[in-house]
Amino acid sequence: MAAVVALPDDVARVSHELPLRANLSALDNIALIPIYQRHFSVGESNQQALQLLDQLGHADIASLRDPDMTPAQRFVTKLARALILKRPRLVIDRPGAMLYDVSYPAFIRQLAMQATMAGTWEIFDFSWNRVLYNE
Amino acid sequence: MNFLAASIESLGAKVVGWFTVGYAMAAFLARAGLLLLEPATWNRATFDVVVKQVYFTAVQILHVFLGYALVISWLIITIILSTARDFGLTEFASEMTIRVLVLELLPFLTALFVALRSGSAINTEVALMQVNSELDALAHCKVPPMQFEFLPRLVGGVVSVVTLAGLAGLLALLMGYLAIYGVNTAGFEPYTRTIAKIFDFKIMAGLLVKCALFGLAVTLIPVTAGLETPKKLFMVPVSVLRGMMRVFFAIVAIEVVSLALKYI
Repeated sequence: MAAVVALPDDVARVSHELPLRANLSALDNIALIPIYQRHFSVGESNQQALQLLDQLGHADIASLRDPDMTPAQRFVTKLARALILKRPRLVIDRPGAMLYDVSYPAFIRQLAMQATMAGTWEIFDFSWNRVLYNE
Repeated sequence: MNFLAASIESLGAKVVGWFTVGYAMAAFLARAGLLLLEPATWNRATFDVVVKQVYFTAVQILHVFLGYALVISWLIITIILSTARDFGLTEFASEMTIRVLVLELLPFLTALFVALRSGSAINTEVALMQVNSELDALAHCKVPPMQFEFLPRLVGGVVSVVTLAGLAGLLALLMGYLAIYGVNTAGFEPYTRTIAKIFDFKIMAGLLVKCALFGLAVTLIPVTAGLETPKKLFMVPVSVLRGMMRVFFAIVAIEVVSLALKYI
């Protein structure tokens, strides 16, 4: 765990310790990043965020807020937020803590196939869950 | 002896605590003030949050607030008028009405109204954001919470309190005129002359500064109280309680200082 907490700045983390802003929709949570980091207008940022959700096959959750999402939808939003950061490494930290309603190795694999990202995806999970990834 | 030492120790801890809270608030305000002057702060997203904040704090409650201001103004005007008539001081009634209502009571009640409605909500929301690590998530994404979450609330609070107090004041002036002179234009000249006599530059500036300070108190204190919350869910009500007590003391202190500066 210490390894995850001490990750450098060039890593985008998807973790249950980094929740979404509860009173913002999935789209707003993602669109915040292009607005504040790359100074895009609200319209352009929303378009980028929607495109990303669409790529992940979840454009329908754009208007949902955190409390209205299923764990899988929440995970997809967090993943889209991490992807839009455009950092070279993406770390998924203990996915079982976020994706307790689906078979998560397969779910993540499926999302990884849909998403376009230049960098690497890494999963930090408990060693006793290794067997799940071999299924 | 032990009791005395414990009392001194407890008093010392309290004084240090007050200074720490005061310092944290002053530092936060200084940071917000500096950020306010940076052109980069004013992007579309921050501006949108300010507009939303003004909408939730002032526009959404406008009809309720104006109804409440109307009832209070009507009651106070009626009391002042009947007392003035009883003592044969009718010629001072309009000045008394304006001074009591527009300069003192309505801004104070506006601040209390906004504090109870929006201040408590801001305190709870910031405390929950702190407890749920939402601020950590924003920091991880390099979205500055001060710019995105806090500064718009401060600006929105100040704009809302100043505007609501102004609207309530205008309503009270209208009510005062109708109560004293009735539905005719006969009293327009003496009434506007009284208004012009009271509202000189110093009084107007003082009123504006007081309302702005009220607006700042009902947003700055809840935000800083929320940020002080330890990451334990059961501490959220304690944080709101502390924040709202501080807001109340701050509002009373601003009013007392304003009265002292004006009349002593």
